[in-house]
Amino acid sequence: MSSKPSVDRAASAARFPRDMVIGFCIVVLCAITYWVTLSIAEAPAAVAQNVQPATFPRLVISVIAILAVVLMAISFRKDSRPGKSVPAMVAMTGAMMLAFVISFEVLGFILTMVSFCFFMPVIWGERRWHAVIPFAVLFPGAIYALFALGLGVHFDAGILGF
Amino acid sequence: MDAFLSALAAFSDPYLIAVILIGTLGGVLVGAMPGLSSTMATALLLPFTLTMEPIPAISLLSALYCAGTFGGSITAILVNAPGAPPAAATAFDGYPLAQKGQAGMALGMAAVSSVIGGIFSVIVLIVAAPLLSRVAYNFGPPEYFALSLFGLSMLATISGESALKNLIGGAFGVLLATVGMDFTTGVDRFTFGYWELTEGIHFIPVMIGLFAGCEFLTQASKLKQGRVRAVLEAVKLPGWADFKRCFGTICRSCGIGAFIGLLPAEGGTVAAMIGYNEAKRWAKDKSQFGKGDLRGVAGPEAANNAATGAAMVPTLALGIPGSATTAIILGALLAHGLRPGPHLFIETPSLLYAIFLSMLIANFAFAAFGFAGAKLFARVTLIPIEFLWPAVFVLASIGAYAMDQSIMDVWIMVLAGLFGFVLKRYGFSAAPIIMGLILGELVENSLKQSLIIFDHEWFHFLERPIVVTFLVLTLTSMVWPLVTLFRTRRQERKAANAAQS
Repeated sequence: MSSKPSVDRAASAARFPRDMVIGFCIVVLCAITYWVTLSIAEAPAAVAQNVQPATFPRLVISVIAILAVVLMAISFRKDSRPGKSVPAMVAMTGAMMLAFVISFEVLGFILTMVSFCFFMPVIWGERRWHAVIPFAVLFPGAIYALFALGLGVHFDAGILGF
Repeated sequence: MDAFLSALAAFSDPYLIAVILIGTLGGVLVGAMPGLSSTMATALLLPFTLTMEPIPAISLLSALYCAGTFGGSITAILVNAPGAPPAAATAFDGYPLAQKGQAGMALGMAAVSSVIGGIFSVIVLIVAAPLLSRVAYNFGPPEYFALSLFGLSMLATISGESALKNLIGGAFGVLLATVGMDFTTGVDRFTFGYWELTEGIHFIPVMIGLFAGCEFLTQASKLKQGRVRAVLEAVKLPGWADFKRCFGTICRSCGIGAFIGLLPAEGGTVAAMIGYNEAKRWAKDKSQFGKGDLRGVAGPEAANNAATGAAMVPTLALGIPGSATTAIILGALLAHGLRPGPHLFIETPSLLYAIFLSMLIANFAFAAFGFAGAKLFARVTLIPIEFLWPAVFVLASIGAYAMDQSIMDVWIMVLAGLFGFVLKRYGFSAAPIIMGLILGELVENSLKQSLIIFDHEWFHFLERPIVVTFLVLTLTSMVWPLVTLFRTRRQERKAANAAQS
């Protein structure tokens, strides 16, 4: 029992401080973004007036990189506790969010909303079908009535033609 | 005077009054719902206000903002689940009071102190905004550049512990604002061949994604946690003696809240925390704080509501948001083709008076709703999240899509939500990114214009007193959190050494 805290402390010492890893990742991302700015076309000098289109983004990227280095520097001696793992449900919900946008283009607005409003509560553990089914039908219906019919928002039809 | 009368005339229209009352009711409801803040609600509602005239649109958002700040206190008191971050401090004493069977007393005091704080903040807004805008009338591009830098640097003071992360978030927002065509040269930047990105990334889908999309994922991670059910005993309202005991605290918190609200980027949450601490510090008998002291409810509630109107001062007068929600209202003004700043006070004064009046009406209305419907509002927490959050996500997607009827905006919203969740896990918050995204254009354009004016001689910035003042303030607000951090760590080290020896 008593050896557990010392093991934790040893593990914590062996681990990099979390903010240092974050800072390092930001610096790497800054380097990549800076590299992307190299592909931004140059404007003629008369138009650019000595401020090329890439100048300002590069300045901001440099500021972010400097701040990230400071973040790494002050993360020394900071206690590094492992973060809680992300529940599988979050990954599933994220995947549903992506599926929603993809099917928005393929299935169309109505089918996407009905499917999402049906499957999402079910995935989250809801099994009261007398509530799930009316929700999956009535909520999209109300949204459609409000936006498409009421506010005149145009939604592209999906593969089924609506 | 003509502008005031014309604004007053606009309020004879029942439609406008109805819009404000709906905004207030909606604000109280979303404020009462844990996880649904007024910031998120304004972000969700913004695309739908674009079809409205500017006065009803901005009045609706302003009413929602005021009422949402109060609404958070209802669930903070009844179920110890602050509906919105500014109400977190209210739960410290509000919930113990509710457990003692004095929920009505706490809710009543929250409503009274919120109204006093809110009305005080509107007075501050009416007095300070025109004065500040008159000063800003003499601002040129260098002053605006220094001011926007100051606004971004204030992000560092939102939270001492993550000051650097807030600054990185703000700078990232500025970088996002550079996506699309550079207006000076017509050259595309970071568009990767997508023509939809040529006009840049609009802040509305990003904002909706960072607030609503991110919260959707956060709720998914909390599914297994139990929910607290609301229990409300007979509503007994505070009496004159209770009010007299809290009067000093309310007055002090009004001052604190208004001052904090005036500072760019600060908002109700900081004001409420300071309001609570000061209520405790000034109290002769501190023993009941944390166990159910009415002053512990009055202090934070007066402070967070006093910050609402005050946060609108830099937003309207300078175009620098005073808080996350005012950043969205600033976005709404821009989306309606209105550029906040001194010109707004000259060109559309009736709109400003309409905002003042709508905030005033909202303050009285939420008090009435608060007293009458506290029991009912507490029940919004009973809506099963398995239905609520999918519905919020669908609404968020439609909100992002409806603006330009572009699927790209829905993609941006979803990606911002996923990205926002990752950022949140690593200690970054959404508000700085939004502020950076909104201020980015101003920062870039004012810097470019300044450099052209100064013929690329940077030292000319230092010849302008206002610029120097803002730059000094910028440096101070960036360095101060670091100084505080190092001081705290030194004290901790000393304490650890003392304990060892």
